[in-house]
Amino acid sequence: MSKRKISRREYLKYAAAGVIVAAGAIGGYAAWQSTRKPLEKDEIIIGVLAPMATRQGSVQRDAAALAIEEINAAGGILGVPVKMVVGDDKLDPDAAVSEFRRLVTVENADVLTGGYSSGIMAATMEPMAELKTVFLADASSPAHPAKVAEDYEKYKYWFRITQNNGASFAFDMADMIDMLREKGVPVDKIYIIRDEHVWADDVEKFFNPLLTERNVEVVKNVKIPRGYTEYEPLIIEAHDLGAQVILPIVALSGTGDVLAKHWATLKLPVLLAGHDLAALDLGFWEKTEGACNYYIFIADGGVVQTAPPTAMCANFIENYKYKYGNPPEAHQGYGAYDAVYLYKMVIEEATKAGEANPLDSDTVVKYLEKTATLENPVELTRNIAFYPPGDENKWDHDLAWGDKYVRNLISEWIDGKWYEIWPEDKANAELKLPPWFK
Amino acid sequence: MIELLMRILVYGATLSGIYALIASGFTLIFGVSRIMNFAHGAFFILGAYFGIALIHGIGLNPYLSTIISILMVGLLAAAMYKSIISPVREHEVMVIIVTLAFALIVEQVILLTFGEHGISFPSVIEGVVIVGTVLIPSMRLFVLAVAIIALIMLWTFIGKTRLGKEITAASQDAEAAMLIGLDVGRLLIVTVFISAILAALGGVLYAQVYAANPFIILKSLIFAFAIVILGGLGSVKGSIIASFIVGYILTAMIVLYGARWSELVALLIIIAILVLRPAGLLGAKEL
Repeated sequence: MSKRKISRREYLKYAAAGVIVAAGAIGGYAAWQSTRKPLEKDEIIIGVLAPMATRQGSVQRDAAALAIEEINAAGGILGVPVKMVVGDDKLDPDAAVSEFRRLVTVENADVLTGGYSSGIMAATMEPMAELKTVFLADASSPAHPAKVAEDYEKYKYWFRITQNNGASFAFDMADMIDMLREKGVPVDKIYIIRDEHVWADDVEKFFNPLLTERNVEVVKNVKIPRGYTEYEPLIIEAHDLGAQVILPIVALSGTGDVLAKHWATLKLPVLLAGHDLAALDLGFWEKTEGACNYYIFIADGGVVQTAPPTAMCANFIENYKYKYGNPPEAHQGYGAYDAVYLYKMVIEEATKAGEANPLDSDTVVKYLEKTATLENPVELTRNIAFYPPGDENKWDHDLAWGDKYVRNLISEWIDGKWYEIWPEDKANAELKLPPWFK
Repeated sequence: MIELLMRILVYGATLSGIYALIASGFTLIFGVSRIMNFAHGAFFILGAYFGIALIHGIGLNPYLSTIISILMVGLLAAAMYKSIISPVREHEVMVIIVTLAFALIVEQVILLTFGEHGISFPSVIEGVVIVGTVLIPSMRLFVLAVAIIALIMLWTFIGKTRLGKEITAASQDAEAAMLIGLDVGRLLIVTVFISAILAALGGVLYAQVYAANPFIILKSLIFAFAIVILGGLGSVKGSIIASFIVGYILTAMIVLYGARWSELVALLIIIAILVLRPAGLLGAKEL
């Protein structure tokens, strides 16, 4: 076979053609790149997993839906539309675990928000770790951040966004005692009524030294089981023992309404002031037929609906009312709304920094840690910051507590409305004592 | 000490009176039909929720809403008996399953409609009465009085009226009752109606002193069941006595030793009594 020689002219011709093709290809690629979305996805999927038969669960679904609707109306996250998928944990750990798996593996959720019960949260942290899925969560037990602290690589995907660590109630209740004393209420003897549950032990671990510092005597500490209703004998006993304050630390007993009713019926000169999850219900006044008047309590989650702490919070409440006909039914709504916006912010930050895969869970964790810091909290409906890994209290990835961040506000039911009465600079009402308290 | 005893006496009596209403109805059905009605706790709390809905929904006063709500519960119970219990009546396990399923459905419907937190039934009486140095809410005394009147009416109905005597006859021997021409099927429906009315009245009174919440369904059922077993299955008199025993144990535990273990101790004492008297205090078949 004879070889044909390529002439110089032919060589230049082919070379020129090659350059033109290559230039075309590069130009085409550049043009494609300019129209391509920065995220390699057709949609970003946010999962909401919560007990949907409760207002604490359904409010998370509705608040996340509102945030997603707003984000999509403004062009999505970097041009990619956001979709919501919902799971119901039915307040059952088995259901919660299987729903978590379904949302991630079947519905392809990129991130999850939700939760409510601490026990169920502990269970769902396992599939979260296994599936390496970021979970912007609710619940209040100190056990959850402790897991992150003890095995960071495994549990680092967990961040608590809805409310503070339950142990922080101790700080707020100590402030409550200081506030009462400042307002002229002599608090030196208190009667504690608390859940027979480990979460109240965690609160007391921090609370007892604060009481000792303040020379406050606990005349009796009564542990009550779930569903307990016989409060009248306890209230009478508190009065007989000389307590000025009955201090509830209750959530799981679920009968704070009965406590308020019995207290209002007896009208003994003893205040009712503490933490009671039942009181954090916009319908509490109606449900107790007004018996909760003058009930002083800690508002979890950093928002009292009548005194929104940020402009975004005020907008959220208004938009929620417009869409659903009423304000957010529980404080978990603020957490879910913030979770969606914070996730958007983090994805945008990661993309801007040139991360290869901004949606990757490890990348999201890195940017959550970098974005919502103690030094620079993110203003959403509240000021969100997370404790960094290696926190001295083992509150790693927990929602930061304090005036600069989120704290459980001291509030009171007064004449049919739920008001914030402390800290003073944010309060929208003055403490009002019951007329029978002298 | 006298003050403590007074407190136990009064507070225990209220709780006992409410327990007696729910337990006597539960045992009445068992006595006549040998049916374990696990939906009884649902009737208890539905009385309160129907009443609350009538007050807030159409503005009825608490007295009228109480009467209408307990009648509604009675009719619902009779309809439930006719439609889902009667077809499976011969199969004890099936009866337990369908009545329990009914109770769980009611619990879910209440959860979805009213939420998980308690709702108060507007109090018909307010204020407190001071007896010596003991403070007693007037509502407690009212509840006790209504419960006692209702139990006396039940007692009179069973012992003095023709229909009550027919129910007693059916409870002693249903076949013999049929042979002498009594319509046992009709008597059963009447019994279910009366039992549900008693439970619903108990629920209304309970929600006046405490509050209605969907989880009471299971708790009230457990206590009613324990009381009925303690009193002797089928014995109304035994159930009333057992109600007061349980009510007083619970209250005495709370007043003297604290709330923590009160319910547990009450249930343990029931078990202990049953070990000594397996048939309960008054045994079976005595209405």
